[in-house]
Parts: sequence; C-alpha cells; structure tokens
Amino acid sequence: MSVLWILLLPMMGILLPVLFGKSGRTPTAWLTAIMPAAALGMLLQMAPMVFSGQVPMFTLPWVPLLGLNISLHLDGLAFLFCLLILGIGLLVILYARYYLSDTDNMGLFYGYLLFFMSSMLGVVLSSNLLQLWLFWELTSISSFLLISFWWHKTEARKGARMALTVTGAGGLALLGALMLIAHVTGTYELREVLAMGDVVRASEYYPYILALFLLGAFTKSAQFPFQFWLPHAMAAPTPVSAYLHSATMVKAGVFLMARFYPVLAGTEYWFVVVSLTGMATMLLGAYIALFKHDLKGLLAYSTVSHLGLITLLLGLGTELAAVAAVFHIINHAVFKASLFMAAGIIDHESGTRDMRKLNGLWNYMPWTATLAMVAAASMAGVPLLNGFLSKEMLFTETLHQYTLGALSWWIPLLATAAGAFAVAYSLRFMHDVFFNGEPIDLPRTPHEPPRYMRVPVEILVVLCLLVGIFPQFMVGDMLSIASQAVLQKAEPGYSLAVWHGFNFPLLMSALAVGGGLALYLNRRHLFSFQDQFVDHDAKYVFESLVQQMINRVSTLHSWIDNGSLQRAMFLMILLALMVSAVPLFNLVDAIGTHPQLPINWVVGFCAALMIAATFVTLWWSHRRLVALIALSVVGLIVSIAFTYFSAPDLALTQLSVEVVTILLFLLALFFLPQKSPTIDSPLSIIVRDFSVAALFGSVIGTICYAMLTRPLDSISDFFMENSKPGGGGTNVVNVILVDFRGFDTLGEITVLGIAALGIYKVLAQMLVFMPSADSKGYRWSKETHPFLLAVVSQSLLPLALLVSAFIFLRGHNMPGGGFIAGLITAIALIQQYVAHGVVWMKGRMPINYLGLIASGLLISTLSGLGSWAFGRNFLTTWFDHFHLPLIGEFELASAMVFDFGVYLTVIGATLLILANLGKLTTSERLRDGGH
Amino acid sequence: MEFTFSLGVGVLTTAGIYLMLRAQTFPVILGLTLLSYAVNLFLFASGRLTVNGAAIVGQSQHYADPLPQALVLTAIVIGFAMTAFVLILSLRARSDLGNDQVDGRELPPERSAMEEALAGKIEKNSAAQKKNKRNRN
Amino acid sequence: MLQHLPVLPLLIPLLAGTLLLMPPLANTLERQRRAGTLFALLQLAAAVALLLQVHQHGSLMYAMGEWRPPFGIVLVADRLSTMMCVLTAFLLLCVQLYSSANEDQKGKFLHPLLMFQALGIQGAFLTGDIFNLFVFFEVLLIASYALLIHGGGAQKTLANVHYVILNLAGSALFLFALGIMYGTFGTLNMADMQQRAAQIDANDVQLAKAGAMLLLVVFGLKSAMMPLHFWLPRAYAAAPAPVAALFAIMTKVGIYSLWRVHGTIFGDSAGDLANIAQPWLWPLAWLTLVVGIIATLASKTLRELVANLVIVSIGSLLLMVALNTREATAGALYYLVHSTLATALMFLLAGLVVQQRGKAEDRFVQSRPVAQPALLGGLFFLGALALIGMPPISGFIGKALMLKAALTSHQILWIWPPILVGSLAALIMLSRAGGTLFWRTRGENTDPARAHPAQLVAVVLLMLSLPLMVVLAGTITEFTQLAAEEMRMEVKSGA
Repeated sequence: MSVLWILLLPMMGILLPVLFGKSGRTPTAWLTAIMPAAALGMLLQMAPMVFSGQVPMFTLPWVPLLGLNISLHLDGLAFLFCLLILGIGLLVILYARYYLSDTDNMGLFYGYLLFFMSSMLGVVLSSNLLQLWLFWELTSISSFLLISFWWHKTEARKGARMALTVTGAGGLALLGALMLIAHVTGTYELREVLAMGDVVRASEYYPYILALFLLGAFTKSAQFPFQFWLPHAMAAPTPVSAYLHSATMVKAGVFLMARFYPVLAGTEYWFVVVSLTGMATMLLGAYIALFKHDLKGLLAYSTVSHLGLITLLLGLGTELAAVAAVFHIINHAVFKASLFMAAGIIDHESGTRDMRKLNGLWNYMPWTATLAMVAAASMAGVPLLNGFLSKEMLFTETLHQYTLGALSWWIPLLATAAGAFAVAYSLRFMHDVFFNGEPIDLPRTPHEPPRYMRVPVEILVVLCLLVGIFPQFMVGDMLSIASQAVLQKAEPGYSLAVWHGFNFPLLMSALAVGGGLALYLNRRHLFSFQDQFVDHDAKYVFESLVQQMINRVSTLHSWIDNGSLQRAMFLMILLALMVSAVPLFNLVDAIGTHPQLPINWVVGFCAALMIAATFVTLWWSHRRLVALIALSVVGLIVSIAFTYFSAPDLALTQLSVEVVTILLFLLALFFLPQKSPTIDSPLSIIVRDFSVAALFGSVIGTICYAMLTRPLDSISDFFMENSKPGGGGTNVVNVILVDFRGFDTLGEITVLGIAALGIYKVLAQMLVFMPSADSKGYRWSKETHPFLLAVVSQSLLPLALLVSAFIFLRGHNMPGGGFIAGLITAIALIQQYVAHGVVWMKGRMPINYLGLIASGLLISTLSGLGSWAFGRNFLTTWFDHFHLPLIGEFELASAMVFDFGVYLTVIGATLLILANLGKLTTSERLRDGGH
Repeated sequence: MEFTFSLGVGVLTTAGIYLMLRAQTFPVILGLTLLSYAVNLFLFASGRLTVNGAAIVGQSQHYADPLPQALVLTAIVIGFAMTAFVLILSLRARSDLGNDQVDGRELPPERSAMEEALAGKIEKNSAAQKKNKRNRN
Repeated sequence: MLQHLPVLPLLIPLLAGTLLLMPPLANTLERQRRAGTLFALLQLAAAVALLLQVHQHGSLMYAMGEWRPPFGIVLVADRLSTMMCVLTAFLLLCVQLYSSANEDQKGKFLHPLLMFQALGIQGAFLTGDIFNLFVFFEVLLIASYALLIHGGGAQKTLANVHYVILNLAGSALFLFALGIMYGTFGTLNMADMQQRAAQIDANDVQLAKAGAMLLLVVFGLKSAMMPLHFWLPRAYAAAPAPVAALFAIMTKVGIYSLWRVHGTIFGDSAGDLANIAQPWLWPLAWLTLVVGIIATLASKTLRELVANLVIVSIGSLLLMVALNTREATAGALYYLVHSTLATALMFLLAGLVVQQRGKAEDRFVQSRPVAQPALLGGLFFLGALALIGMPPISGFIGKALMLKAALTSHQILWIWPPILVGSLAALIMLSRAGGTLFWRTRGENTDPARAHPAQLVAVVLLMLSLPLMVVLAGTITEFTQLAAEEMRMEVKSGA
C-alpha cells in the first residue's frame, strides 16, 4: 500500500501550490514541499525492508483487455531513483523559491514541478509495461510545460516544442517496443518479463524490439544523434535544468536501459549499438562543451557527455560495468545538479551567463565560487571526489573489452580522450568564471546570493565530498541493492575504495588530467580551429527541416486534393464501377430461368422515345429549356412504364412529382444565368467521363437484366394475404405505405419537411440576379398575370380540391393516397399563385406553410402514438366498418389519420418551396434575421 | 421485354452519370434527375415485371410484387425533396460565388476552390502571412 | 413505458423537432433554447435507460405496428446500437448548449434541425431493416445539408454544393444496392438477410456480391474512406462550430453500417458471401490513413487540422473493421467513442478561438491574442493530448487497444506504422498550432468578447468526459467486448 503513497502524495501535492499560489513565495514553497517531504519520509521508513532484499509491491487491475494495470514495485533501482527524485526535488523547490521573481506565476511553476516529480516517480516505480509507458509520456509532457514556462521567449517555445517532438516520437517507438515485448512474453507485468529475458532475446522480433526500445531510450537521454534537443531545453528556468535536464528526467533513458538490462542486454546487437552510441555521445558532448560560451550551454553538453558515459557503461555488458553505470548515475546527479544551481546563482546575481563577460567572480562571491569549483572538480574526475570513483571504474572496464577484437584498445583510448576534454571544460568553467581577470560590463555587480539559495548547493557539494572520501560507507549498500535489481542476481565482487594502488586506470586518469590541462592552455588555437566551422543552431535546423517537410507534403496534398468536385465524383463512380463489375466477370450467364414477357411494338416505341429523349437531354444540356422538355418526356415515359407494369400508384406519384419538379426547374431557370460560359472540358476528359459512365450504365443494365430473368422468392406474399384482414385495405401498396412500413413513410415525410426548412434557409438572405430580359434581349412581358389564366384557374381550384379529396379517400383501397392528393392540392394552389401573384394570394389565403408541415408531422406521429393507449406498439393501426343510414357501409382506419398527416406535410412542404422561390422577385421574399 | 427494360435503365444511368461529371450545376442536376429515374426503375425491377396485375386485392390472379412499389414510392418522394434542395442550393451558389460552376470558379486553376472562395479574406491577411513567413524560424 | 423504451430515442427528437417548429415554442429564441436543452436531456435519459436495460436483460426488439419480422420494420436495441445512441444523445446535449449561446441567432431553425439530425443518426443506429436504414440516412443527410448552410457565406455554400451532390450520387448507389439486395434475397430485414445470405442460390451469389460491394462504396462515402473522403475537410471546416461537432458522429454512422452489413450480414457466417469486402477494405483503409496523415501535415487552419485528423481516425477504424476480430472491434469501439468526443471538443474550441481571435480566425498566422488565453489554451492543450493519443487523456488507451488487436494478426506491418506515424503527425501539427494560436501573439486583445457560459458548459462537459473514459476504461472495455461479441454472433433480430 505505502508504495502507492510514495506516488500518490506528490500527485495530490500538485493541487496545493496551484490553489494557494497567490499566498506569497515562501508559503507557496513550504506548501509545495510538504507532500514530497512526506513521500520521502515514507520511502526512508521503507528503506530497511528494501535493504533486507524484500520488494514492496502494489497491484490493482485497471484495463484487463489492454493488460494495463496499476502495478508498482519498490526494488533497489526504484529505491535509488526515488531517493534522487525526491531528495533533489526538495532541494530544487527550496532553490526555486529564491530563483523565481515575483512576476513569475510561482504556483503554476511548482504545480508543473510536482507534476513532473510524480510522473518520474511513476516511471521508476512501475512494474507494468504500459503503465511505465504512460508515466514516461507524462514526463515528456511535464518537461514541455516546464521548458515553455517562459513562453513569451521564442527560444523557450521552440526549445519546448523540439523537446516534445523528439521525446514524443521516442515515446511512440517505446510503446511499440513494450507491446512487442509483451506479445513475445505474453505478459505486461515487468517482474514476469524480467524473468523471461531468454525468450525475448531468442524471438524473431528481438531486432525490432531492440531498435524501437533504444529509439525511446536514446531520444530521452539525448544520445547521439538525438542529443540536439537537450541544450535547447536550457531555455527553461535554471531549477528545471538542474532537476529535469541533468539529475532526473534525462536519466529516464538510462534508467530504462538499466531496467531492461536482463531482458535485452548481452547480445552482439546490444553491445555494438549501445556502447558505440554511448562512446560517440560522450566524445561529442565533451568536445562541444569546451567551446560553449554560455555557462548553461557548457553544462548541458557536459550532461550529454556524461549520459553518453553511462550508456557506454551499460553497453559494455559486463556486470561490473553495469554497477559502475548505476554508481555514475548517482554521482552525476549530485554534482551536475549542484553545478546548475551554482550557474543559476551566478546568472541571477550577475545578470549574464556569458563566460566571455564573467571573469574573476572569486572576489565577489568566494563562497559560491568554492562550492562551484569543488563540484566542477568532481565533474572533471579529480580524486577524493565522487566523480573520480565512477570514472576510474569506467576506465577499468574499458580495459577489459575484447569485443572489438584487435582494435579493442580503441575504447580505453577514446574514453581517456573524452576524460581529457571533461577536464578541459571543467577547468574552463572554474578558471574563466572565477579568475582570469575582471568581469566585463556585467548588467549587475555580482554578490553572494541569499543564504538559503546556497543551502541546496552546499548540501550537494558536501555529498560529493563524502561519497568521494567514504564511498563504501555512504552508498555501498544502496549501490549493491540497485545493481542487484539491474542484474537480477547477486552483484559481482567489487570494492568501493578510493585507493586501488598504482594501476592502469589511475594512469589513464592522470593522462586525462594532463591532457585536459594541455587542452585548456592551448584553447586559443582550438577555438580558432573551431571557429572555421559555422555553428548551426539545432533549433533553426530542426524547425526548417520540419517546415520543409510540411511544405513538401503540402504540395503533395494539393496535388491529391485539388478541391474539384468533378475529380471526387469521378473517383467515386470509378470505385463503384470497379467493385460492382468484378463480380460480374464471375457471373457465368446473365440470363436466368425466369420466364420473360413478350415485347410489343408499343413498348418498343416508348423505349425508343425515352432513349431518344435521354440523348437529347444529354446533348443539349446547355440549352436549358430544350433539355428540360426532353427531361419531362423521359419522366412521362417512366410513369407510363409504371402504369404498364401494373404499378398505378407509382404512375400517379411519378406524374404529380414530375409536374412539380418541372415547375421548380422553370422557376429556377429564371435565376440561372441565361448564357453560361460553356467551358467544354477537353475532348479527352469527355471521352474519359463518357466511357466510365457507359461502363457503369452497362454494369447496372446487366445486373438489372440478370435480376429480372431470375426467380424471386420474397416476403411479399405476406402483404397480399394480410393487407385486407390485417391492414383493412385492398390497395396493398398503400397499406404497406401507411401500415406495414408506415415507419418508412414517417421518415419520408420528415425528409420532405426538413428539405423545406433547408430550402427556406438557403433562400433566405440570398441575393438574386434578376434579368430584366431574356437571352435574346427581349424584355419580359409586362402582363404578369394574364386575365384568362386567372379566371380559368380560379374555377379549376374547387375541382382540383375535390379530386384530391377523392384520391385521398380511395387511397386505402384503390390507387391514390395522401401523398398524391397532397401534390394535387399543392399544384392547384401554385396555379393560383401563377395566376394572381403573391400579393393577391397573401390576402386571400393566409396559410402558414411551416405550421402546415409541423402539424402534418405531428398528426402522423400522434396517430402512431395513439396505439400506446391500448398498450400496443408504435404505429399499430386500428380500423373498423360502420354503417350509417344513407351513406351506408364505410370504413374508418387510424391509418387514414396517418395519411392525413402525410397529406398536410406534402402540401406545406411543396408550397413552402415553390411559393418562396416564386416570391424571391417580389417584396414578399424571405428575410432571414435569425428570429 | 426484360431486355428492353434493362436497356432503358442502362441508358438512363449512363446519361445520368455522364451529366453528373460535368462542371456546371445545371447539367449536374439534370444528371441527378435522370439517375433517379434509372434508380426508381431499377428498384422497381427488383420485384420483377408483371403486366395487368396491379397489387389490389381481388382484382386479378397474379399480382405484381407490391413491396418494391412501396419502396420506389418512398424513393420518389425523397428524390423529389433532394432535387428541390440541390436545385435551390445551386441558385444560392450562383448568387454567392457569382457563377454556376460546381467548383465555384470559371476555369480549373491551381488554387483550390476553397481558397478562391476565401480570396477576399486572404488578401486582407496577406500582409500578416508574409510577416509570419519571415518570423518563422 | 418500458415496453416502448427502444423507440423513445427516435420519438423524442422527432416530436421535439416538430414542436420546436410550432407555437408556443417557436415564438421566442429563449423558449427554443430552454425547450431544446430539455429535450436533449430527455433524450439522453432515454438512451441511458435503454442502455442499462439492454446491458442487464439482453437485446430488445421493437416491431413497428406489431408486424413481426421479417415483414414489418423492427428496431433492434443491442449493446452496440444503444451505446452509439447514448454517445449521440450526449453530443446533442453539448451541441445544443453551445448553440444556445449565440450560434442560433445567425439563422433560422437551428434547434429543430439539430433534433432532426439526431433523429436520423439514432434511427440509423437502431433500425434492423435495411431500407429503413436508407430512409434514416436520408433524414440525417438532409438535416446535415440544412445545418451546413447555417449562417451563410461563400465558403459554406461551396462546401455544401460538393457535399450535397456527392451524397446524392451516394444515395443513388444505395438504392441500386438495395434493389439488388431485395432482388436476390427477397427480404429487407437484416437478420433475415443474414440467414438467407448463408444459403443463397449459387447463381445469385455474384449479383448479391455486386450489391454488397456497392454498399461498401455508400458506407465508405459516409465514413470518408479514401478515395471518397474529399467532401469531409471542406464540409467540416466550413460548418458552424456546433454543427461540425455534431458531424463528428456522422462519419461513425458509416463505420457502424460497415460493421452491421459487411461485418455481420456478410460476416464469417455468410458462406459464399463471407467477408467479401475485406480484400478492398484493407488497401482502402490503409490509404485513408496515409492520405489523412498527408492532409494533416498540410493543414492551414485549426478546423482544417481537426477535420483531417478525423480522416486519420477513420482510417484507423476502417483498419479495425477490415481486421474484424472480436478484440479489434472491442478496441475500435472504445476508440470510436473517444475520438468522437475529442473531435467534437476540438471543433467547439476552434469555434471559441475563431470568435475571440478576430480577422485571423483560426488560421495559423501571428495575430492578436485570444480574450481568454489561459482558459482556451489549457483546454486546447488537453484536447490536443486527446487527439494525439497521449496520456493521461483517453486517446492512448484507444490507440494501444488497436495496436494490440493488430498484434495477433499478420497484418501488423500494415497497421502499426501508419497509426504510430499518424500520432506523430498529430503531435507535430498540434504543437505548432497551439504555439501559433496561443503563444506567438502580437498586440493586445481589446474587444471584451468572452466565451458565453453556455459554451463553456458544453466544452467542459466534453472535456470531463475524456478523463472519465480513462478512469472507467476497465468497465467500458468490458462493455465494448460484450458488444463486439454480440455483434459478431448475433442474428440481428435480437430476439
């Protein structure tokens, strides 16, 4: 349980500073420190347990399907890292209290800091692969937030984004690696995975796993070639640099390698890739560090170099090397954190970090200078300091390498060279800053920092000394348990003594120191040599690379998607053609067994006529009126076809719809440009389009033919049988519409209604082009509403209404029904508009079409709901026969109410559309002022 | 008979598709209408062809399949709604974009139609964009 | 009432839409807002009730007019469909709230149209009859046409022209396909169809195939499958914020139908017609992802970016549909819910950014700061994490689930790289977007236009739903597993 608390306390702690951040700097700092301190207390209280070799654990299932559980364990390695994270974290909190100014949002800063702390704790405590990855990503995110804390500075923004992109990419790779590992081992629980190293190394996936895994680790720990993001992360406030980018977060990568050491290490791949990368990083970092004029820049590259050193150690693959790696993780964290803080103090008190200006600070801040120089000495690897010990171990290990065969001696040589550069830049840090003449025009006159700002540095430096002098006493036990955790077995024999007698490693150290001195003394030549190369700023290189990539992709994209509907349409038809044609190739014979009807000349003539009309429409599609007339011919023949093939309802519907549609087209023609610039697409396009169209047409035709000539066993007999007894109507089609499939009809009239609403919206606030003359320049006729028409149509109206009523009532038993009736009524009314004009109509027929639509829908729905009263399902119909004197036998059916709703909706919708389109030219046109 | 019917459907489909691939709204809408005729006939055909057998109980011995007829009826109505909408939308496009090209531009240029439509705004911000280019990196 | 539970998610929006068009509700905007929100709440309640009912007592079937299947139209409420309904209803509520701020002043009928839109979507989810599916497709389409034009402007009109014409062609294809379906199977009820598909007559097989493949094109168009995706970026980027947010679910209707038709009717059980779509689905899904990634990297505005990320997510989902294993479907369902919510959230946020950023709108150019940088920036940050698929927001679980599902198949090399690269592309673009929109600012924001409380409520509701999905991930995935199981086994008559 208490393992969970180590993680939970800092997490809960996030809220404190965020909520009470306004309560002044010192209180905020204290508030922030409470939870980590408590967590640290817990950790120490569990120390005996861990040292006695037990591993406290906590597990809670979370997402079984994914294999993601909340699963924590506190083994030696985790313990070591928790100690670093919490310990240094507390020091950083104290330090930041003095570093940040009043203008900074301190609460937020501390919140981010604790966010990071908990994420990092999560990484080291996790014993579930996916949970580990989860916290891993959280560290990237929190570091992004911290680097961009001063987001108004462009280098902060760019640095943060670069860090996030690089580590984020690595995170994705890591996810892949971990899932593959889990796939191979069949478990997501780290402790089980650690026991199955052989399985993983043996599996076919191993190379991929290793590649992805190392991508994750290297990006996080800024290993070559990904080292470039780390120096730019220095745009963050110095406490962040000290904490994340030297002591803890960048260690996550090496932590991961140490964590999976038993699983992945020990192969040829591992040795070559890891050790060589480490070596390269170590050298590169050390070399560049020497030439950085920025204090933090120097430290950043030195960090890169030291991370390389640790990677190298892990790569060497011997057990002692692993121990040395763990040891150096501790040491580096301690001295580098103190150095960053010192640098921060100098920056804070003198106003610059440029070593060309900073000189002779010894006279201004002797105490800080002493601290900084001790730490720097440790970084250089001077005896009696902790840095020396782990470096000695490195040298020792490099001497026991035979993997490069006869060239194995390269490794110690290069290691020594890197050591020399380390000495050189450490010397530069000490000498340039604290001696070497007087400061050059500093923004402020430097002085010692506030007492407590120095305390963290003091503590860390004292640690450097103590570990350096009494290593076994200070860290012996911790090192041993940590190494055991890494190796998953008893650690090899080694002695943490300061003095091993005169031996080869000592000689190498001596050489390194000597070489370093020499390098530093001749730095002038080196600098002038280095100046020949233009110094690329990774920020800009990276940004411009991303930018170029985006530009390339954008051109590619505009090539794929040129915003043309024609292309989209063409591709869709093409796809439809392909997918539907392929099966037909396997269709042995289109003709089926179903008996065919004989053809007669009437049908033949109609068909010919229709085809002709179709081609007329096609050919004169730009001569709009012609096209329209041809189109209506096609429509008429279609409705004739329906009549011929015994579908009277369809014929009636088709006919009435045809009329309304053509009316609509005619109205629309008035507003479309008389002459439209007929840009005839190039012949090639026309051929292309036509051939695709023809192919698709033939496919559909073939399918139609194949379908027609095959027998069908369908569900429709049921409708024939139940229409009268169950639906109370003899016109089966109508009964299907209002009863068997009434729900479809309800949807259909809803569509009609919504369409009317949509058209209303489209017409509203639309400015119209109103030609005063036709294409030939003849002015439109003055006589808008011919008298004859007015008279005739007026006399026609009652007749039309009567017809529609008749059609409506017979609908249930004979062809007809609400929809057709509605259209007929609508047409009759439209005729009135045409004959008398909008204003006249407005006076006499104040119908609110919108209301008509809504009430129609409502009536249909409610008629369906009525059945609920009798405990029946929605749309269950009821009908009965009554006998009245005079009128005689007649039927009442709830379906008729439903059909009445349809009737109203159709009238409303049709008129709303047509009338409003017609009104466009008049003063009655719609205005869309919202409401 | 069946063959003639299928031929008709095929021709209507061809014409419809071809017109829908045109660059101006009016032909496209004509195409849609033709295509919807084809569709209705096709859907109707799924019940096979029957002569003098209207699906009215007690009128004849063999009936046409009533279900596809009901479906076609629904399809016709929906088709009508859609045609009306797209027709009026094309008017709106004409008034908003100043022409009757489906891509809202006279000739197919490199610039995407969307940019074309935004052109007004783009001019306004061109200054800002230039500046932005300079600031980048 | 319990008996009628399955039809409520359709009746409520239908009645709501109708009543909102009539007095007294139609009279004032205030009434529309209040009533609309109330209806949305009712609907959410109904959907949730249905979900619980189904989860505890198994699938429900509701026969319209009490005509027994396969003759009448049935609604089938199983875990999958009800879960989609709940998602839709929740989305509708947020969108309804957001529109009540000021969006509904820019044109008429916004509230009723939102209701009708929801009606169409939920109908498509619930119906068990394939022609009825077509009808509801048309309902949701016509509603979306009307919504897309809301507010007006050249950009909207043009996008709408493309969207409408493409979809009309799509509807025509749908009807062709339905004709073939009825012409070969002689039925419209999906469950019945599934049974008949298994023992189809040998010389009808090829016809049925052709029909099924046309349906693939239709649903592909709905779900923006490459090469049918061209309408999406324009339509979504042009649509008003709340409409775009509601559209987030519409592509998922396509995915859902693919599952129902090609995953179930023509699924493993379909004999000669089993998994006929797979060979086409694999490459198309993959290409969708790739094209989506390219488009993502080429985005110039926030709305465009989010829209293109929709294509990426659709690509991933399509891959899972092609994979069509229980695990894949279960994972995909979780991811589907997540991506819908995240996308909706981002579209609403983009709306606020546009509202506060003046002339620059949401273009990635330097401009004045937004009025509420801390608030919007923070929400954007979380939303971005969600879209990228980074912890602690729900995206990472969905992504991981899909990656895991791919592990067991031989298709891993098809599936992993594009999904991972997609996340990276999202990471790059969203970090740049955030940096430009919220950090690289010039001058001061003088106008006092703050986000309206209603808008904030909507955004925050969506925002909170995502972490909740993480906390409850265990329960949710359990549910989606059952849903996937059901979908694959079930003969869709539910009974």
